[in-house]
Amino acid sequence: MTEIKNAHFTTLKGAYDTEKMEATLRVRRYDPETKKSRFDNFTVTIPVTASVLDALDAIKDTHDGTLSYRKSCRMAVCGSCGMRVDGGAALACKTPMKKFVDAGHTITVSPMGNLPVIKDLVVDMAPFWQKIRAVKPYLDTRDVDVPEKEWRVEPAASDQIHKESLCILCGCCVSECNSMESDPEFLGPAALAKAYRFVGDARDQDTRERLRDLNGAHGIWDCTRCYFCNQRCPKHVDPRDAIAKLGAESFKEGFTRDEGAKHAKVFVDSTYKGGYLRETELVPKTIGPVNAIKDMPFALQLARAGKVPNPLSPHKAKDNDEVKRLWKLLEKEAKGQPRRANAKHPDAVQGD
Amino acid sequence: MQDRYAYYPGCLASLSQKELDSSTRAIAKKLEIELVEMPSVTCCGAGDIHEAKPDYYLHISARILGQAEQMGCETILTICNVCTLNLRQANKALQEDKDVLNRVNDNLKQVGAATYQGGVDIRHLLWEVSAGEGYDRFKSIAVKSLEGLKVAPFYGCQILRPAKILGFENSDRPESLERLITACGAEPIDYPAKVKCCGFPIVLAREDVALGELVQPLQQATEAGADVIVTPCPLCHLSLDAWQRKASAFAGSDYQIPILHLAQLLGAAAGIEESELKFKRHVTRLSPEVKAKLKVPSAIGTQA
Repeated sequence: MTEIKNAHFTTLKGAYDTEKMEATLRVRRYDPETKKSRFDNFTVTIPVTASVLDALDAIKDTHDGTLSYRKSCRMAVCGSCGMRVDGGAALACKTPMKKFVDAGHTITVSPMGNLPVIKDLVVDMAPFWQKIRAVKPYLDTRDVDVPEKEWRVEPAASDQIHKESLCILCGCCVSECNSMESDPEFLGPAALAKAYRFVGDARDQDTRERLRDLNGAHGIWDCTRCYFCNQRCPKHVDPRDAIAKLGAESFKEGFTRDEGAKHAKVFVDSTYKGGYLRETELVPKTIGPVNAIKDMPFALQLARAGKVPNPLSPHKAKDNDEVKRLWKLLEKEAKGQPRRANAKHPDAVQGD
Repeated sequence: MQDRYAYYPGCLASLSQKELDSSTRAIAKKLEIELVEMPSVTCCGAGDIHEAKPDYYLHISARILGQAEQMGCETILTICNVCTLNLRQANKALQEDKDVLNRVNDNLKQVGAATYQGGVDIRHLLWEVSAGEGYDRFKSIAVKSLEGLKVAPFYGCQILRPAKILGFENSDRPESLERLITACGAEPIDYPAKVKCCGFPIVLAREDVALGELVQPLQQATEAGADVIVTPCPLCHLSLDAWQRKASAFAGSDYQIPILHLAQLLGAAAGIEESELKFKRHVTRLSPEVKAKLKVPSAIGTQA
């Protein structure tokens, strides 16, 4: 096996002194000229500390210079080397090889999903950037005298969007998004996490317009809650949680006309009224009575199997007055708090 | 596995998916575990209340957890992925931040509801019977070998992801269902979509997007030669079972694959009768061949 002696490893202090291991990788190749895909296996000798990206570098340096992939910082900051390792999107630079070698496992490296492949492991990020641009990823400071120096924000206000600010735009969350597989136009987890980063920003003046836009087709209510985005994100942004926060902000601002929001409202109302979900109200209240009637043959199929609970005697939990009182208490408490739009200025502190 | 659980069947098993509740009660009896009723609970919110009214979600969850605590139960047994995630997610938020817990408890006290001290765990039936002592208990009651039955496991999302809240097993390569299918004497069938979404959370609001997701497991499990799909989640079940015809029309196919609740599969292997497993309450009926392989005593669901 070829000993790797290249500039890359010599820059790692002590890398040559570390123990070496032999690793095999199965790499998906795609040739844009022939439009054909194949898998190539490569075996390389790499330091025990090597990442998947180091292993790809070793392949490119010693086996096949035509292997294409993106990389830059090698330290999980730039977001360039997103790719699938055994089918799950990850940063190649942040994924150590040793655990696979120790397990005697040959990893499969393939390009991220939900994005067109250009060559080998390189995907076309254009649709990704288009969606990021669609959520206006910049502060709207209309009607505000923007300070000349920095515009300081109280830590508590900054904390609101801390997680979403950690995004490095690598695309790992998008790769396995189940809704996007089904609806390629879905804005998706990265763009929606970015959207919340601005909706939740105490300085931004565009909250209502942003939320209005996010409540339409391909917006927040397209999310199927598969949680692949939270699972894949290498920076713990938890995009699904950001989407839920956008839902809550939408409710606060009164954007509740999307079918997704109506669906959510039935759950809220059901607990208040009786405890468990009122299943028979879910369909007409989400899609409207006319569409519900159009869907009657389907409802009859369910009824035949005994799956339509009697709407005249809905479930009533014991002691549900507690829940009613709780709801009223929390609504009163929420009303006492300033609405987000008004809360922004007191939170924002002008710089020295 | 414990001998006593606070039992939280959730909305679907209590209403449209009653066969899951009755199968669970039957298998619990065989496993000699006591299911303590929780008559005052609400819906977990199914993620919808978390999304619409997160503060209210946290409070109603704390109320549910507090009730289990007051009943002297350390663990809530769930039979639904969505209940499992929602209760565990709230539990984590309450346990990790004393200020949050105190504020929630102050409000619960004000309305006369049970408060929560933070000492309850939430476990899905799948977790309890697929490992450790619970698995041994199940093996000892799995007296009927379902030999020849090919079962495609369908995990659903919210029993696997996010792993930091669920974390029972490797979320990309789970094997608890396979372990139980094998313990039943049946053959697990592998296919990629077994860890993907059934589309149910958006099937009313975005039907086409949901059906695009739903066709994947139906198509793949059918192609892999599965007789049935088994799932630990009643929402996945409803999607795979009741929406199967719509998915067929959407994909231009004709899927005819029965969907079993996990408790029904376990129940069949434990020799529980049709009157408790209630296969008749499925929209996609069992074929005579599948019926024969499930070996359930007395008449079971026939082709509609």
